Amino acid sequence: MDASEPAIYRAAIQGDRAAFEMVIRSTSRSLFAIAYGILQSREEAEDVVQDTFVKAWKSRWRVRDSVKLPAWLATIARHRARDLARKRRPEPLPEDLESHEVVESAGQKADLDGEVRSALAQLPELHRLALTLRYFEDLDYGTIEQTLGLTNGALRGILGRALGLMRKRLKPALASIG
Amino acid sequence: MSTTHEQIDELLAADLHDELTAAERDEFHAHLVECAECRQAFQEGKNMNRILNETMADKKADAAFEQRMVSRFRDRVPKRSGLISLITDLMRVRAVQLTAATALLLALVQTGRMITGDSAMPLKRSEYISSTVEADRDKPGANRDSGVFAKTDGRSKTADALQQKTTPEEEPPPPPPPDKPLTPVESLRQLPSYVGNTKTKKAEFKDEKAPASTAETSAEFVEEKPSSSPSAVGPTANRKLIRNATAELEVVSFDESIQKITGFAAEEKGYVATTSSEKQANGKLRGEIVVKVLPDNLDRFLGRVHGIGELKNQALTTEDVTKAYFDTESRLKNARLMEQRLIEILKTKSKDVADLLEVEKELGRVREQIETMQGELKFMDSQVAFATVTITLAEKNMNLPAAFLLKEKAQLSLYATEVEKTYNEIKALASPKVQITTAQIDRDNTGRVSARLSLLLAPEDSESVIAKIKGMARVENFQVTTERVSQGGDGLGENAKTERDKVELNITLSRDEQETALQQTSLRIRTPEVNDKTKQLRAIAEQQGGRIRSSSFSRDPNGREYSTVSLRVPMKNYNALMQALNGLGKVENVSVRRDDRPNSQIDESNAPADVSIQVYSQGNIVSEETGIWATLRRTIGQGAAALMWSVRMIGVALAFLAPWALIIGAVGWVARRVSRARAARKQSGT
Repeated sequence: MDASEPAIYRAAIQGDRAAFEMVIRSTSRSLFAIAYGILQSREEAEDVVQDTFVKAWKSRWRVRDSVKLPAWLATIARHRARDLARKRRPEPLPEDLESHEVVESAGQKADLDGEVRSALAQLPELHRLALTLRYFEDLDYGTIEQTLGLTNGALRGILGRALGLMRKRLKPALASIG
Repeated sequence: MSTTHEQIDELLAADLHDELTAAERDEFHAHLVECAECRQAFQEGKNMNRILNETMADKKADAAFEQRMVSRFRDRVPKRSGLISLITDLMRVRAVQLTAATALLLALVQTGRMITGDSAMPLKRSEYISSTVEADRDKPGANRDSGVFAKTDGRSKTADALQQKTTPEEEPPPPPPPDKPLTPVESLRQLPSYVGNTKTKKAEFKDEKAPASTAETSAEFVEEKPSSSPSAVGPTANRKLIRNATAELEVVSFDESIQKITGFAAEEKGYVATTSSEKQANGKLRGEIVVKVLPDNLDRFLGRVHGIGELKNQALTTEDVTKAYFDTESRLKNARLMEQRLIEILKTKSKDVADLLEVEKELGRVREQIETMQGELKFMDSQVAFATVTITLAEKNMNLPAAFLLKEKAQLSLYATEVEKTYNEIKALASPKVQITTAQIDRDNTGRVSARLSLLLAPEDSESVIAKIKGMARVENFQVTTERVSQGGDGLGENAKTERDKVELNITLSRDEQETALQQTSLRIRTPEVNDKTKQLRAIAEQQGGRIRSSSFSRDPNGREYSTVSLRVPMKNYNALMQALNGLGKVENVSVRRDDRPNSQIDESNAPADVSIQVYSQGNIVSEETGIWATLRRTIGQGAAALMWSVRMIGVALAFLAPWALIIGAVGWVARRVSRARAARKQSGT
């Protein structure tokens, strides 16, 4: 897979639909993670991922370095998600739909869930994205850095800080669980 | 130690995410054992990690997510039709890209050619030539056998092709069928096809098998002529040709030459038909001799005749009488048959006297015809048998002239104020000693009059008459040419007397208006009263014997008045006129031009001088053409013109730029595709 990846990216850029579909399969989850990290909404995130691919297909010829295709896709997704987030900014964060589902399963857990969610929402965007990518897809640091366009080793600090902030914010809850 | 403590968050996360190296992990865990605070953090972090794992697990994309993404992508971006996708696939191939770019450029060039009217023909033609040459090389042998070379004729220009083309032509044509001797009847039958076909005028008297009647009359000639020559074979063998030659010679002695020519004629089996001579005024003989020679010997005879004097001119003619001859001959044959039949009738059916008389009468008529035709044939035979050479001989002028004649010719050009009056005066001079040979007066539609006269003057009176005529008008030009003509010879005789011939005088008379002025002057006079001063000016001109030739008056929008007067005065009054003009106003811008005519006998005091005077006034200070409204109007007009001009320039610029923009755009597009493809290949290589 690793050896053929650049070849697939190149074919996809040159308009090979099958190759592009392979790219969709391999990158859609991380794009979803990014979109979710920004929007905190599964449906919206899914739409963003969808739009990202359509837009990328139409302007694929802009990619000069085919290896950077995933990073380019991630950039598109981030921009789209941000646009969407900005549009609905006046409204409060939609914690409704998804939280309701969870509420039925476990009341106590729902509380914790809400706290985690609000803590996440207060993190800077980059930190939030790093977290979602890590916890959604279990990606190694190198891949995450590449996807987010970070320099080598930068992610360690970001994730450490993100986790530390979360930890401090959720201290009471953690204590109760502990 | 302390760094580990400070970096606890970072190390903690990395440890939880299993991203620490072995050394880092050992150090980290060692620190945890020592530091209670960090241990606490580590515990919390582990919990945090677990919670996050749990919560995120719910939120992350479901298993069918990728498939959903792909199928939705397919819905939203429909596959293109076969043809378009084929084209786009093809466009990914470098060769196709280059071909397309080249085709586009060629198409542009072709479009340009169509617009400018250049044709693409020369290219096509050169291709065609090269292809035909190749075809020729492929089958060199085939050309000789078949007529293929005829098709390439004139198109293939290589030496190779030319070689092939010329070779077959050099082969001698198949020899014509051997000419069998023709019987008279056969020759008669063949004749029509020969008549008018042959253009050969060279005498071809190789008519050995001529009809019997010809053979009879020219038997001698037939026997004598050379047996046969190769050129005699052919259609001209039976021709009846009459050859004639004329020559004009200048000889020293007429009688001697006649003797020589008679001798030549005898040697060439000919004879002298006639001679004639006449004595001329200068005592020289001039005459003509007509010689008949055998046509075959004609050229040789002429060659010998040329030797006896100086050839002035010579002409050779050949007349083809074949058709007339044989027509007459067949008519003669018919007439003979008729004669036979009439004789038969006379012998057998001799009953009625009236009939007999009728037959006799008819017989007489037929016999007369026969005789006429026989005579015609004989005449033609004699004409054909001998060529006629007419030689004109003239004795050269070798002697000294008898006398000289002095011929004088005079040319006189005159300018007269009244052409008709002068013309009539000259005509009135006519007397036995002054003959007017031609007199002509011309008047054209613009009223210009000119006259021409030619006079013959008796030598003794010529001087006085010419002087009298000169006094009638102004002389523009007078020329006399004298010629001495020798009479009766062309040498330089010392004793010959010189006689004066009549003097020929040609006169041209023109109106003096047409004469170009000897001096041309132009000047300006500034004065406030243009009209009054102009009137005064006219008066002055009249006083000085001047004539007003043209005048004009105008007033311009600034209120300035101009009056222009051009007049002509005799040179003698010129200075007085100029003095008088100074009194009229301030004389400005005087310019004088003088055309001196050296070597011509003119009388300068009466020669005309042209003066062109402009009298003008100063205009208004503010003209009607200035002022605020006029300025405003002009400004708007200029602005509009400038706007229209800029619109036109924009159009021109667009027309110039559009094709280039197209080409540059196309080239840029191709270059981008090429470089992208190259970059992509480099990527796959690494």
